[in-house]
Amino acid sequence: MTTNVPVIDTHAHHAPEAGGTNYLNNRSGFWSWAGTLDHKRIGLMYLVGVSIAFLCGGLFALLVRLHLWEPKGMLFDNAQYNQIFTLHGAFMVFLFVIPAIPGSLGNMVLPLMLGAKDVALPRLNLLSFYLWLTGAVLATLAIVLGGFDTGWTFYTPYSLYTQQAVVTIGLAIFVLGFSSIFTGLNFIVTVHKLRAPGLTWFRMPLFVWALYATSLLQVLATPVLGITVLLVAFERLYHIGIFDPRLGGDPVLFEHFFWFYSHPAVYIMVLPAFGIISELVSVHSRKPLFGYKLIAFSSLAIAIISFLVWGHHMFTSGQSTYAMFAFSFLTFFVAIPTAIKEFSWVATIWKGSIALNSPMLYTLAFLIIFAIGGLTGVILGALNVDIHLHDTYFVVAHFHYVMMGSIALAFFAGLHHWWPKMFGVMYDEFLAKIACAIIFIGFNATFLPQFIMGSRGMPRRYATYVPDYAPYHAASTVGVIILTVGIGMMVFYLVASLFQGKKAMQNQWGGVTLDWLCPTPPPLENFDVPPKVVHEVYDYSTLDYQSMQTPVR
Amino acid sequence: MFALLTQDPARTPGHIENPAPPLAVDTYGQLPKLASTFDHVDGLFYFTYIVCIFFFVVIVGVIAVSVVLYRRKTWDQPALSNVTHNTPLEVVWTVIPLIIVMVMFAWGFKGSLDMTNVPEAASRNLYKATAKQWNWTFTYPNGQQSFGEVWVEVDKPVAFATESTDVLHAFYLPQMRVKRDVIPGRSQVVWFEPKEVGDYHLFCAEYCGNDHSKMYAQLHVVSAEEFAKKPWDKWDDSTPAAAAKSGESLYKQLCASCHSVNGIPGVGPSWKGLFTKNADGTFTGRQREVLVGGQKQTITVDDAYIIESIKTPMAKIVAEEPYNRGGMSAFDNIEDRKIAGLIQYMKSLAEAK
Repeated sequence: MTTNVPVIDTHAHHAPEAGGTNYLNNRSGFWSWAGTLDHKRIGLMYLVGVSIAFLCGGLFALLVRLHLWEPKGMLFDNAQYNQIFTLHGAFMVFLFVIPAIPGSLGNMVLPLMLGAKDVALPRLNLLSFYLWLTGAVLATLAIVLGGFDTGWTFYTPYSLYTQQAVVTIGLAIFVLGFSSIFTGLNFIVTVHKLRAPGLTWFRMPLFVWALYATSLLQVLATPVLGITVLLVAFERLYHIGIFDPRLGGDPVLFEHFFWFYSHPAVYIMVLPAFGIISELVSVHSRKPLFGYKLIAFSSLAIAIISFLVWGHHMFTSGQSTYAMFAFSFLTFFVAIPTAIKEFSWVATIWKGSIALNSPMLYTLAFLIIFAIGGLTGVILGALNVDIHLHDTYFVVAHFHYVMMGSIALAFFAGLHHWWPKMFGVMYDEFLAKIACAIIFIGFNATFLPQFIMGSRGMPRRYATYVPDYAPYHAASTVGVIILTVGIGMMVFYLVASLFQGKKAMQNQWGGVTLDWLCPTPPPLENFDVPPKVVHEVYDYSTLDYQSMQTPVR
Repeated sequence: MFALLTQDPARTPGHIENPAPPLAVDTYGQLPKLASTFDHVDGLFYFTYIVCIFFFVVIVGVIAVSVVLYRRKTWDQPALSNVTHNTPLEVVWTVIPLIIVMVMFAWGFKGSLDMTNVPEAASRNLYKATAKQWNWTFTYPNGQQSFGEVWVEVDKPVAFATESTDVLHAFYLPQMRVKRDVIPGRSQVVWFEPKEVGDYHLFCAEYCGNDHSKMYAQLHVVSAEEFAKKPWDKWDDSTPAAAAKSGESLYKQLCASCHSVNGIPGVGPSWKGLFTKNADGTFTGRQREVLVGGQKQTITVDDAYIIESIKTPMAKIVAEEPYNRGGMSAFDNIEDRKIAGLIQYMKSLAEAK
């Protein structure tokens, strides 16, 4: 090993010949953005889009919680409440959690990490974004056309009978599915074809591995969802008799179709988050990731097993004993690669050089919250216990610990980590740390009480409830107000940094993967000289400390 | 969207009006106090809970110690160790959790067999629970019925065949640890053995539309002597006032989720003003526009119209928006004396003025 040869000569790239131009300022005007094929600009447009979707979904969540302050409900009648909680779920799942990390941070960082000029299929990449936008417009149109009150799961036969804009939102999901498939396809090709010379599979950063596993799931699972929503639309319009028991159809068949996609979808959502955390734990501990290969393979193992556990969403539907046996067994089995990841992250921190900056604080918050989210999943895997807990707030709390507490926090962590890379500016670190603490407290205050009321029997999707559960609902509502303050702060200091943030450093955090070795912010085609990889991944003996103190131009 | 934000108070109450007393909680505060024989649920829940707390404490402990010991003091401080893996350690933290989860799996599967295999004694005591938007009808082994509440005998295994006439519902008794989706077109049997006398919540746990959260019933577990008195069969119609009172209680269990009695529009039309009282004590029904096979007609409300509207609701639909699409499901199995009680209650609303 020639350990002293730098991967690329980073200083050369800070030289004035770059002229201070980067992907943000090399061209301007509306069409330079709307028609761009640059993965970084597309990533930024995704970032703006998914952030707006997240804030809308968050507003709906706030309304839901405020309504539940009192057992009789404070704000809405039952029909209105049902629409609001459905909007919360549908916006968060389809417009935010599924596309957020691959679309924004993945697009931004994946080609940088591979040492590539762009993704393999830049036009397809832009099409993915416009499909996402079309889906978002259709979803908004569905609200205008009378809304929908089916829950994000669209369970039949209710979704076939309800007099609302179910077909429109179904069309939105269909279109969003293609956006997701195209992104996955693009990333698979990019990883296979555009790795820099010397970047072998086991030298790829784990965020790349995670996006690769995610992409496989997106390509293989999403078509099933597309077909399912199409069938629901046909059933509503032409009364064919697939899911409608009045016409000889089977509503349980819908549940199978739906979860055949939507369980892998949970991993489409969470694997990119795992990838971000793997990167950040290593960079901010300045230590190679513990058990690199095991983490890489566990991503693939999770991707495969996740196709075989969908039935655990249906333990109370009256499946056969054999189906229950297999689904419960495999559900417990998928806990193992997930546990390996958590243990490996914690082992990476051990004896590291731990920087308590804001990306790392978000990462530590993730590690604690994901431990709770994952472990409560084990409780739900047991067949007899799940029968009691199914469709209660225990399940609601569990998946919010995974979807909101883990995935959204990993997204925030990645956003803070790559913000200086993307924009060349730093946000206010002090405010960022305070906001992280407020979000952590607010999140736990919101969802810990839901575990208790859930295990005590509070069913989910209730517009009103028996007074037994009032104190826990009240605590949860107070929590969400704290959470809202934290998120509001985060939006404020991130946006403010774009206008008056101080300049970031070339290599703000001291990363050694290729994304930190190209100029900051990156020029149009990322690398002036095609990079060549000669080191193992996460080898911090090669860290150029100088680049951590060189401001961006 | 903005229309959704403005509150419209003129609707039927959206909440449960007379719930069972608050449910008792077990010693550890996490589960409702068990009132059936399914103690393996609680056993495995707490076993898993303790294992989870153990792993959580270990994980958070290692993170906390690391942050304290290895916090970066100078900006260019390298890590203390560059270890990339440790095979024995990785084998340990793969194999030990695997063994633990397999124990949980086996325990849980065994428990679920107990819950799904209906014993002989329970299937001889077979009730029917019929779910429809948004109420429960219970049929006793002897064929009698009750609405919104059901009585069972303590210490005697009981089975419920669950059926739905419209969409998905779920039959959920938290304190019995019983839950089963109620699927239209299928009849599925659940069983339990109640061990404690008391009144318990029965929730619908699968989202079923507008008044999902109001789809509530009570389970009364009573002693053998009390059960022999057939408490569900009490129906006092000795005087018109008593019949109206019986009708009122049936109204609250069965009809109130859609029909108000104070003129506030609900899912269905209000009962207010159906009858007016004459000076001689008789009642006159109001004039009403209805749709018969899509044709508008004006009829006078009378007993026959009410009976028809309960048994075959689509025969004459109220012509006024938004009720002109119909949608009420047929209640063709209510005994005649009970329908008479409901009519008496409607008439008593005129007296109330």
